[in-house]
This record gives sequence, C-alpha cells and structure tokens, in this order.
Amino acid sequence: MTRRAKLMVAMSLGVAVFAAASGHAMVQGDKSAALRASGVVGEQADGYLGVVGNAPRSIREQVDALNIERRAFYTRIATDRRATVQEVAVKTACVIFQNKVREGQFYMLPDGVWRKREGAIDLPGYCG
Amino acid sequence: MTVTKSRTRVPLVNQVLKNAALLFGAGVFAMGVGGCVQLAAPEKPIEINLNINIRQDVLVRLDKDVRDLVDKNPGVF
Repeated sequence: MTRRAKLMVAMSLGVAVFAAASGHAMVQGDKSAALRASGVVGEQADGYLGVVGNAPRSIREQVDALNIERRAFYTRIATDRRATVQEVAVKTACVIFQNKVREGQFYMLPDGVWRKREGAIDLPGYCG
Repeated sequence: MTVTKSRTRVPLVNQVLKNAALLFGAGVFAMGVGGCVQLAAPEKPIEINLNINIRQDVLVRLDKDVRDLVDKNPGVF
C-alpha cells in the first residue's frame, strides 16, 4: 500500500472511532430519554421512572440507578428549600410530564395506571 | 472389569414412581371435586394517593429550582 493510501485508511478509521465514541457518549448522556423511548419505561407522577410490564434486567437496573440519582437531587433541594423530598419529587414530575414525555411515551398519574401520551398530557391538579 | 446393568428397578426408583402415582391420583381427585385454586389480579388498579402532604405554596416556591434541575441534568431527567 502506498503511504498516501495508508494515511487515508488511518484517517477513515479515526473518524469512524470518533463517530462511534461520540454516539456512545450521547446515549450515556441521555439515558433517561433513551429509556422513555424504549417503550418499556415510563415517568411516574411521584417523580421516578417506572418499568411498564416486563423489561429485561439491564433496563430495570438502569431505572433503579437513575431513580437513586433523582432521589439524591430531590433530597438536596428539599434541604435547601425547606420542602419535603416528596414535594420536590412531585413537582419535578410535573415538569418532566410537560417537557420530557413525548408523544406515544408512557406516564403514570397518581391513580397508578400507565397511559400513553396522545396529544396534550394529563397533569395532576397540583401541577398548577 | 465387566459392568452389568441390572434388569430390575432399584428400590429408590420404585419409591419415586409410587409417590408420583399418588400425587397424580390426588390431583385427579382434587380436580374431580372442584379443588382448583384461582389466582386473579385485582380488577381495580392500586390507588396511589400523593395528595396527603403536598403543599401548593411549596410547589410554587420550588418551580425555579426544579426547572433548573431538569434543564441541567438531561441524562437523569
């Protein structure tokens, strides 16, 4: 192979690796969005992710890990703002329902029933 | 060394077969007298009542912090 050809191959490989790596980073950064889009995970009115029906163990583990992170955030804000963790969590769910749950994705109101978003999302009364 | 396979069943196998036959017979008998156990999920979904300790004025107060929280942590929320 000529030196020029070798250089072209090396550059192509480099671009390919970069693309794959940044793609992976994007998925890592948008874990919750990816889970909501999976069809087996939904947002709950209590501020946490929930599994809809049967889902593989890897999905359940990701959901658990994210919920632990969420609770840590809620606790911090609750302490700073003299609210209960539940109040912070529930308020966050209001925001998530409006801004993050997309058409066709699952969410759960306080009645415990999984719903699919179709058009405008139903919000609990206290969301204001 | 020669290995000979016994032509008669081992007593343990006999015991297992006897137990299996007893269980099968008991099952047939139970079905005959209508002894089936039904497992059914409740018709009504479980109610989650979150409204007990939620203060509306607190939710209003939290609005900015919570919106910032969600904006700044897209992977988690």
